[in-house]
Formats: sequence, structure tokens, C-alpha cells
Amino acid sequence: MIRLENVTKSYSAEVVALKDASFDVAKGEFVFLVGPSGSGKSTLLRMLNRQERPERGAVWVAGRNIVDLPGGRIPMLRRNIGNIFQDYKLLLEKNVFENVAFAQEVIGRPKHVIRQQVPAVLDLVGLAGKEERMPNQLSGGEQQRVSIARAFVNRPLILLADEPTGNLDPGPGEGLMRLLDRINKTGTTVVMATHDQRIVNTMRKRVIQLDRGIIVRDQARGVYE
Amino acid sequence: MLSRLRYTFRETFDSFRRNATLTVAAIITAAISLLGLGLTFLSQRGFDNLLARWEGGVEMIVYMQPGATQDQLDFIAQNLDQNSQVIDSYEYCDQSCSIAEADRVLAGEPGIRDLLNEGNIPTQFKAVPTDGTDVELLRLTAEAFEAGPGVFDVAFAEEQIQLIGQLQSFFGFRLFLLSGFLLVAATLLIWNTIRTAIFARRREIEVMKLVGATDWFIRIPFMLEGLLHGIIGAALASGGLWLWNEQWTEGVQSFPNNVGFASLVVTDGYDQTVMLFMFGIGALVGAVGAGIAASRFLDV
Repeated sequence: MIRLENVTKSYSAEVVALKDASFDVAKGEFVFLVGPSGSGKSTLLRMLNRQERPERGAVWVAGRNIVDLPGGRIPMLRRNIGNIFQDYKLLLEKNVFENVAFAQEVIGRPKHVIRQQVPAVLDLVGLAGKEERMPNQLSGGEQQRVSIARAFVNRPLILLADEPTGNLDPGPGEGLMRLLDRINKTGTTVVMATHDQRIVNTMRKRVIQLDRGIIVRDQARGVYE
Repeated sequence: MLSRLRYTFRETFDSFRRNATLTVAAIITAAISLLGLGLTFLSQRGFDNLLARWEGGVEMIVYMQPGATQDQLDFIAQNLDQNSQVIDSYEYCDQSCSIAEADRVLAGEPGIRDLLNEGNIPTQFKAVPTDGTDVELLRLTAEAFEAGPGVFDVAFAEEQIQLIGQLQSFFGFRLFLLSGFLLVAATLLIWNTIRTAIFARRREIEVMKLVGATDWFIRIPFMLEGLLHGIIGAALASGGLWLWNEQWTEGVQSFPNNVGFASLVVTDGYDQTVMLFMFGIGALVGAVGAGIAASRFLDV
């Protein structure tokens, strides 16, 4: 599903975000990216949805090298990738339903499909009955669930999560991980950057560790260390 | 398709609401600049009407009596040909040509115009002199033609006409320049309004890009917004122009006869052509301002 081949990216001579990084992620895998701040986790995620381009190397997503993907094809790539962020990136003037529906509306899904699929995904993330709530009427954990619902509503092949539990207490954080695990079990590949040792050690999924842009560990059923 | 259209219009009108003060400022600026442009065109047309008889360097006109015979016409034409040291060229304006000219020249005096028809309107020989500055020679030539067979009257351009021509080019150029500057200001204001709208929605745009919305899908509501600024501005300007022209025409018709303003009105539908042109320019200004802003600032 994902393949990086000798990927290098630097922002200046001193700041090297990724150096000669290579790995494969199979369809349906769950991968943690761990490492200290500035180790290149977010850059790597941003490369997978073509927000960034490497200086060298190839980035394969769903069988296609996306490094030289023409600008007009990038939206199609992104329709197969869901994104979850630490700060949720919810639209504060839209309610829960509208926030999730927005992801379908902007890619031209018909209204009847939206009316059918949004409640279903809100039910999946445990927010049934809260469709009319505004984001500021929800807890942090609930806001992140809205963000997951928005990322998953178009049934993407890949889910990229950048520190999704970073702003949450342990309880809601664990609930969120159970949700991501459920989504992963539907066949969606999940790549998640995190600092949360407890979650990584509990989940025991594949762990790729980065340090100053270099992959220093790639371990199946790994722990944080 | 329908859902996309619904989305586009909803976003456009939401943006109008959210950005109300700048939107109103952009529309008013567009309206004022387009009204200025429209008035420039109308005033130029008024001057053109005033000078219609003297277009193309014509400085002497031999008016023939209604019902002048072909022999009389041929005689005058022959004499004009023979005076080649004074007359460079001439054109014969027959009844239908003279009627068309009267429509413009007498637009502000419909009572007089209504008395004229192809049976009683004088036809004209319009002569361009070899040297327009030799007024004395031209006056002598005019006097000679006045005595010709079938001649009703001879007129030649006075200094007053030349002055009007100079005023037309003086004001025309400067008013066009002023309108041009105002149109640039309107474009920049629309550009800035769209930039502000994009900035206000940057979080939304970021999400849209990440879930796979195309650039055009994101751009179109902003471009439509700019286009509407220009079109609404043009509609207001057209209303203003229509009102202005109506009141001016009414005012001129109530002036005493022969004060020289009768031709300085536009009643032949030209004002509607100018309004259409204003809509075109308004749409262009809006689309250019919004298009540049949308292309330049949507790179989130």
C-alpha cells in the first residue's frame, strides 16, 4: 500500500527532516511512527498525502509513485487518504453533522448519499445523537472522534494520524485508539505518528522509530522504548 | 452536479454576508468607476452629435433646396470639382443621409425634427478644404456658392465648432484616464476583498484540500463572488446612467431653442449599448480581480 525508497528531504543545510528513508507498509497494516520532536514523523506523513515532496527517492502510494504526480491528480490521491490531526482542525461554525458532511460535499457526493453515510459513520465513532452539537459543545475526545469520522467517511484506503491523542487525557485517548483499531480491522491502513508511550506499548503494533530523519528501528509488534 | 452548484452559491453568498463591509465597498467602487466610464461615453456621444455635421474635416456645407433638380446638383458638384485649389474633397449627403443626421443633431428638439421628412429636408454637399486655416478664402468661396442654382444656404465651421472639438478631445481623454484609474482601483479592491475572504476561510480551505477537493472547486465560489461584485456594480452604474440620461434629456428639451445644446443628448439607444458594455467591463474587472486573488492565495 505504501513504499518509501531512499527518501531524503531537508528544509535547509542544517535541518534534515528525512535521510535515505525506506520501508514498506502492507494493506491493512497499523504502523506507529515514533521518535522525538523534529525527528521527521510529521514530514513523513505530509509526504504521503503530497503536502511535501522529497528531494530524492520515491514515494509509492496505492501502486503509484506520487513524487511527480501532476497537480491536477493530487485531489484524487487525497480522496483515498484520511487525515487526523492533533488540533482536530474542525470547522467551528459548522455542527458535527456538517463537519463530517463537508468532506463528502467538497468532492461532489450527492445529498442522498451524504444523508445516508454521515449518520452511519457518526454511529461508528460513538457520536450518534450529537449531530446538531457545535464543536465547542464537545469534549476534546469527542472533537477528535468528529475528526476521525470526517477522515473515514469517504472510506479511504489509508488513514494518516498525526499525534491524534496529543491533546487528550489517557481515558479518551485509549477510547480513540480502540476506534482506530476498529477502523484498521475494516482493511484501512493506519499510519500514526505519536509520542504516547503507553498507547504504543499497549497496542503492540509495528513501530518505525525515527531519529533526526533516519529510520533507526522497524519492529513488528514493537514497543516505544 | 446539483449539489456542487448548491454548494458554490451557498458559499458565495455566505462569503458576501461574512465580508459585508468590504463587499459593499468593492461594489460601490466598481459602480462609481463604471458610472464614470458610462458618462464619459455618453458625453463623447453628445459631443459627436453636436459635431456630426462637421465630421471628417468638413468645414463647408452647401445645403440644396428641397426638390433641387439633378441638373442643379450636377452644377454644384462640377463647381466643387473645378475649385480644387480650395476644395480638397467633398461628399454628397442625400435625403436619407440628411434624415439620419437630423436624428442626431435634433435629438434634443423633437418638435423641429418631426417637421422634417425626405420630401422637405435639404440635401448637402460636405466639403473638406485644402487649407482650413484660410478662413477668408473659404468665406469668399462660400459666398460664390450661395448664389448657385438650387442652393438653399452655405454654412462653414466657425471657431465655436472648432472649440467644441477641442473641448471634446480634452475632456474625453482625461475622463477616460480617470475612469481607467477608478477601474484599476475597483479591481484592486475586489482582489483585496477576495484575499480577505480566502484568509477568513483558510482553515476550511486547508480541510477541503486535504479531503481531495479540486483547486477549481475551491476557486469557483471566490471567482463567482468577484464576478458578482463587478456585475452588481455594473447594475447600479447602469441604473445611475439611465437616470442621469433621462433627467439630462428632459432638461435639454425644456431649454429655449437654438441655445446650442439640442444635439448634446443621447436618445438613439446608444445608452443601452453603453450599459451592456458596462456589464461586460464590470464582469471582466470582477473576474480578473477575483481570479488573480484566488490563484495567488489558495496555495495552502
